[in-house]
Amino acid sequence: MIAQVYFWIFAAIAAACALGVMLSRHPINGAMSLIGTMVSLAGIFSLIASPFMATLQVLVYAGAVMMLVVFVIMVLNCAKDHSTPLFDGAGLFGVLPAAALGALLVRVFVGLDKQATVAMNPQAPRGDVDAISKTLFGAGQHTGGWALLFLAVGILLLTAIVGAVLLAKRHLDSPSEPATIEGGH
Amino acid sequence: MIEFDLPFILQCAKFLLAFVPLCFIPILIWGERRGASLIQDRLGPNRANIPLLGGLRLFGLVQNAPDGIKLFTKESFIPKHAHKFWYIVAPMIPLCIAFLTPSVIPWFAPMAVEGAKGIANVSGQILDADAGVLVLFALSGLSVYGVVLGAWASNSKYALMGGMRASAMMISYEVSMGLSVAGIFLIVGSFSLTNIVEWQAAHVWGIVAQPLGFVMFLTSLFAETGRAPFDVAEGDSEIVAGYFLEYSAIRFGLYYMGEYAHIAIASALVSTVFLGGYHMPWLGTEVIRANLGLVGGGLLAAIALLCIWIAYASNRWSNIYAKMNATDAAQRKLEYRVMTGLFSGLAVLLLVAGSALALFVHPQQVSVGGTEIWPLWVNLGTAAIQLGIVVAKTLFICWVFIWVRWTLPRFRYDQVMGLGWKILLNIALVNLLVTAVVAKLVKG
Repeated sequence: MIAQVYFWIFAAIAAACALGVMLSRHPINGAMSLIGTMVSLAGIFSLIASPFMATLQVLVYAGAVMMLVVFVIMVLNCAKDHSTPLFDGAGLFGVLPAAALGALLVRVFVGLDKQATVAMNPQAPRGDVDAISKTLFGAGQHTGGWALLFLAVGILLLTAIVGAVLLAKRHLDSPSEPATIEGGH
Repeated sequence: MIEFDLPFILQCAKFLLAFVPLCFIPILIWGERRGASLIQDRLGPNRANIPLLGGLRLFGLVQNAPDGIKLFTKESFIPKHAHKFWYIVAPMIPLCIAFLTPSVIPWFAPMAVEGAKGIANVSGQILDADAGVLVLFALSGLSVYGVVLGAWASNSKYALMGGMRASAMMISYEVSMGLSVAGIFLIVGSFSLTNIVEWQAAHVWGIVAQPLGFVMFLTSLFAETGRAPFDVAEGDSEIVAGYFLEYSAIRFGLYYMGEYAHIAIASALVSTVFLGGYHMPWLGTEVIRANLGLVGGGLLAAIALLCIWIAYASNRWSNIYAKMNATDAAQRKLEYRVMTGLFSGLAVLLLVAGSALALFVHPQQVSVGGTEIWPLWVNLGTAAIQLGIVVAKTLFICWVFIWVRWTLPRFRYDQVMGLGWKILLNIALVNLLVTAVVAKLVKG
């Protein structure tokens, strides 16, 4: 009962903030709305007995990733662009996934397919530390072998970081370019 | 549905513990000023007084009252070019977070109480999640948005630079902070702070098990709270005051209070993870419960000793002051007399209460459905003593924060970044690796 009330509160905030991301013309407002969505999603995670997932959602997405986004917005000083258009060419890429997700949701909830009804017990622990660590890092026979994938992703991220540092270094150290404020390249 | 039985009432009452770090704020502000003065060989603010009985100054603690009144009544100015909405909202964020983060810190040991459905376990933390300390990290990571948004909304170059420094530093040091404390998680095998304290009670304190982790965690926390020697985000000599440059009155006060609340919570975390939390050597939870009268009496006697010392010092100062040719000699003499009387009376009261406790209080376990549990008043008394232990340890770490701030000079910005990424992170990684290998060998 109380869980349901909380669910509707979180869902309303998440939806409103998602709309805010789409409709806000100011990059900072958009970023803060996205943080609001993420935190409300974390609340919904903890309602379905996944407190660990909720914590990671706040820690990694709202705390670290969005911090970087806000940092970049501040460094590039997008604050001057008060007239960012709501929709541009890049927005078209979002249409297909959104349509696909919408179709899936309609299929599940309207009940076109009786097999695909959502059956879940919100009390069953699924996202706690123990379950996640056993699934993710378990090296036994009955685990999915996600540990290897996890390591592979780690190496991929490391490669990306090294690449980014290399690119930035070459740009900063090149002596032939005069130091410009706007940096028109 | 919800049953309004004893465990539920206790669970609700625990929410009051969210205010503990807030109570630290005035004590910390006072400690910062008088501590700085102590280190710099001066007196610090000790003039503000309550004009009663010769002007009670209470060691300078009264100074907080005029400061608060000033912050609340000054004009709260909003610069013309500021982004109004975020300018007003931003200072609220750190203080709001300060209410949420203490929810996972265990202030006392779990207690077994009789509920409607048999015996229920009430733990010492408000939020009994298995993600434990990660909740604290996650929420305190959000508090940097207050700094960054305020800096950006001020629309001032110095403030923006301060905000950017704050965000870069926060991202850098969060990594080494998490990795330096991960060794303890590996050894204990749990994120829950109650489990970590119970492990320390059963084995050794975290500072013995992970000395390197302790030093690195404390260093990262200095950076995380934006304290000197890592206060590059404020950097008075370089960027005036950093992120709160454009803030005045109570909006500045909110940042100020948020910073001190953050320090209090960080200190509580250090004392819980590395200094045994509510556990004292030879004073385990069961020992306190079985000898509640003796332990409580001893504690009251210790406080009484402190009061006697203050009364003695007041009396001594009264004599010294009488010999000086001061204009306010009569007033001061009266004040010191009042202090002497007050604290000696308090000491006598505490001693009487302590002896009564030690002599007449002998708790007995009661049987509930075949299980022996302690009665509620024993559990609550133990909880009060353990809360006192945590607060005492936290105050000590707070003093270390103040001590370090007024001892070390500020690092340059690039030095701070170099320390974070090139030194702390690597030591933390090696420490984690060694801990993992040892933990695997020992635990199997």
